[in-house]
Amino acid sequence: MIELRHVTKRYGAVEAVHDLSFRAPEGQIVGLLGQNGAGKTTTLNMLTGYFPPTSGQVLVDGMDMLYEPRACKRCIGYLPEKPPLYDEMTVRAYLAFVCELKEVQRKAIPGHIREIMDTCGLTEVAERLVGHLSKGYRQRVGVAQALCGNPPVIVLDEPTVGLDPKQVVEIRELMRELGKTHTVLFSSHLLSEIQQLCQRVIILHKGKLIREADMAELTDTGETIRLRASIAMKERLLLPALKGLDCVRRVKVLPTQDADTTEVELECTRDGDRGDPQTQLFRLLCGLDAPLRMLTQQRDTLEDVFLRATAESE
Amino acid sequence: MISVWKRELQSYFYTPIGYLFMGVFLALSSVMFYLQILDQRSSDLLTFIGQISYLWMLLCPVLTMRLLAEERQKRTDQLLLTSPVSLTGIVLGKYLAAVTVMVATVLLTMVYALIVAIYGQVYPGELLVGVAGFILQGCAFIALDLFISGCASTPVSAAVMAFGVNFILWILDMVESSVSIKWLSDVLNFFSLYARNEPFLMGQLSFASIGFDVSFAIACLVMTIHALDSRRYRGA
Repeated sequence: MIELRHVTKRYGAVEAVHDLSFRAPEGQIVGLLGQNGAGKTTTLNMLTGYFPPTSGQVLVDGMDMLYEPRACKRCIGYLPEKPPLYDEMTVRAYLAFVCELKEVQRKAIPGHIREIMDTCGLTEVAERLVGHLSKGYRQRVGVAQALCGNPPVIVLDEPTVGLDPKQVVEIRELMRELGKTHTVLFSSHLLSEIQQLCQRVIILHKGKLIREADMAELTDTGETIRLRASIAMKERLLLPALKGLDCVRRVKVLPTQDADTTEVELECTRDGDRGDPQTQLFRLLCGLDAPLRMLTQQRDTLEDVFLRATAESE
Repeated sequence: MISVWKRELQSYFYTPIGYLFMGVFLALSSVMFYLQILDQRSSDLLTFIGQISYLWMLLCPVLTMRLLAEERQKRTDQLLLTSPVSLTGIVLGKYLAAVTVMVATVLLTMVYALIVAIYGQVYPGELLVGVAGFILQGCAFIALDLFISGCASTPVSAAVMAFGVNFILWILDMVESSVSIKWLSDVLNFFSLYARNEPFLMGQLSFASIGFDVSFAIACLVMTIHALDSRRYRGA
């Protein structure tokens, strides 16, 4: 749906984005991940046609942004980092203006606005001035304006920054909903957010693409799985038994506050002859009469992937 | 373009700017009307129009200061520039909104003509030409100040710079008369928006002046579009 081809952006002597190419396929939620100053906002601004790249191509639905800007812009709803709101207008008047800008049929505008306000939870503030709204509501109006004209692609620049936890959850829920019917591309420096929402991740570092992959592929640990367990038994008695299991390759003891409980991280091979590692561990502990307080499978977090990728690129 | 025009027009009256412009214009022009017409027992509306045309220099920056500079300051230009509207449409919409407020204000001053018509003699043709020239002059000033708003980064700096440039245009008249180099004084005279207005004030429908005002406005609008476009390419 959206494609960048060898895009470079220079601000004078500073190169903000260097030779960036990626695709956001139709119907997916794609996350653009990077630290502050990695070039996320610049990338989104080019992709939405706010400014053109110094070199390279931006394609929307196969059309070139440089040559068919109007057709391309019609396909995209954009919420910039700071929502572009006119404080002196009411929410309804503002959304009506955006609908007109996005060439929504005049007759369809009132119904369309009602629908959008419903989706974004703005109905109760419809007649209030945008300038009087709280930050959370302003952000929602920002999302609402991106939905005007029902564009197939929604681009959001750090949509949850500065919101309180409840609002963050609401906006994420909204994005997940949107992801069912739209192609959503959003940027964030929060790894957990990307991990929760996205099917595909693009990692930027210092203006360069360092990793582009599906979420599943990115956090897949291959043949090893890591288990974290908390067991009510003294470390000295437990460790030899754990090491005796043939699926366990490595045991790492984690600090605990309670001397009678041991917390360990186990690196195991996925499939042994005697069933999966969880079952083997359970049988062992039953035999030892050591109650298992907690057992979780540790996935490779996006943090690990991100830190590894940025370290590799340096 | 129409949606931008409509929003800007509404915005003039959602904020105090529109009322401020109209109020100050009408207050100052009514003082002049009293001094020039009522007090002098005169019905010479053209001289009166000539005098209130100095208000353009003072007040047009008020109309234009927010139009582009505020969009830039508040980053609302991100909405306009990522919408399917051309830069030309945006600039024209904003320009026409300011012109609409200006023309509405001028039409309100026709009350003065009505008062003169009741107590004295008004020559409609003469008045029409005078008002047309007055409006054209306002259009030229607004276009110039819009260009400055497009270059400025905050509304206040836009207003101050616009006022400065307008003032220079006015001073050109005086400088021109004291410059002894013929070609230089000709050049200065060419750019003076006030000297251009003189034929109208004598009741002449001067096509040269109409042509000048219109091309002056178009040139300023084209420069505005280019200024915005070049900033877009620089990505600043």
